[in-house]
Amino acid sequence: MLVERFRQGDDSAFDRIVERHAAEVAALANRLLGWPQDVDDVVQEVFLAALAGLKTFRGDCRLRSWLFTITLNKCRHHRRRLSRRPSHRIDETAATLCLNENAEMKAIDAESFARVRRTVQALPPKYREVVVLRYLQGLETAEICRMLGVTTNTLNVRLTRARRKLKDDLDGLMKETT
Amino acid sequence: MSEERIRELLQDADRAAEPPLFGQIKATDLRQRLRRRRLVRLGMPATAAAVLLLGFGTWTLHSRPEAPASPPPDKIASLEEQVRQLQAQTDAALQLVHEVLAQERQQQRLAALEAELASISDPREEIERQVDKTAFVLVYEADQLYRELNEIESAVEAYEQVIRLFPQNRWANVARQRLAEIRKVKINKSETEGDSKCGSQSV
Repeated sequence: MLVERFRQGDDSAFDRIVERHAAEVAALANRLLGWPQDVDDVVQEVFLAALAGLKTFRGDCRLRSWLFTITLNKCRHHRRRLSRRPSHRIDETAATLCLNENAEMKAIDAESFARVRRTVQALPPKYREVVVLRYLQGLETAEICRMLGVTTNTLNVRLTRARRKLKDDLDGLMKETT
Repeated sequence: MSEERIRELLQDADRAAEPPLFGQIKATDLRQRLRRRRLVRLGMPATAAAVLLLGFGTWTLHSRPEAPASPPPDKIASLEEQVRQLQAQTDAALQLVHEVLAQERQQQRLAALEAELASISDPREEIERQVDKTAFVLVYEADQLYRELNEIESAVEAYEQVIRLFPQNRWANVARQRLAEIRKVKINKSETEGDSKCGSQSV
């Protein structure tokens, strides 16, 4: 409905779409980029691309999935651009400091959470993406497959390998918490 | 470690992180950015092309040998006028040559026609020649009758025929002379015969 209104020239419809999906898009970008917190550039890019392409949106999938696909692509592009900068290093300090303030987390301390996030970031992109989409965004298998353009088997293989790698890296931590 | 345990761990780590920060997003602002971006996308190649062209033009200008100083405009105008006049004179001369050649061709054609006409004989002269010839033949035949055959009566008729048919011809005059001669001979003969009759009667 909002898409139709936007196609008919109603700019306020796009504002409504932004209001409805901006938080989710920002959360996904934050997770895919390794929790840098400031994801304004990427979110702006996502909605800029959405504005440019919304008139050609065929409605084959939900608008949310479409926006997530754009977010995925923009994050890939963003990471590639960052990786080309020689001085770039994913800022873990900020995340760690943030975690240190969450003192109420009793089971695992802030350092442990930072380690988990570092482990997720260290995963190869194809594993990191499926982990984020499945366990953090909570998307269904079919939706993830459509977004990534892979089959269910491929997705399951990637998830299994990602879990194995996480388990290997976080095994000691799990033992400590249990 | 089960899948569920991994999920919980990841979600806890995610919750422990600070929420993402992003500014306010407005459709109007995005539209302006989109327009700027399109302008830049279009403008960049155009600017690059313009710079390249400018550079190429400058390079061409500097690499070309020094051109000679251009003559003043008055001289150019004068030269152009002279060229125009020469062109006009050439056109006039060419037209004159064409006219002379056309006239010569006409004269040659006329001379050929006159020569052809001159080769044709005059029909009046031809007729006169034929008439003269016929009159001569008639007079010749009459003379033969008169002098060789001594057929004076037939000869007189022949001479009279020539005089009757061709009265203006010179052979008509010859025929008249012959007739006069015959008449004279007849008169002489009759006088001679009368004298002899009178003398024999007197004797």
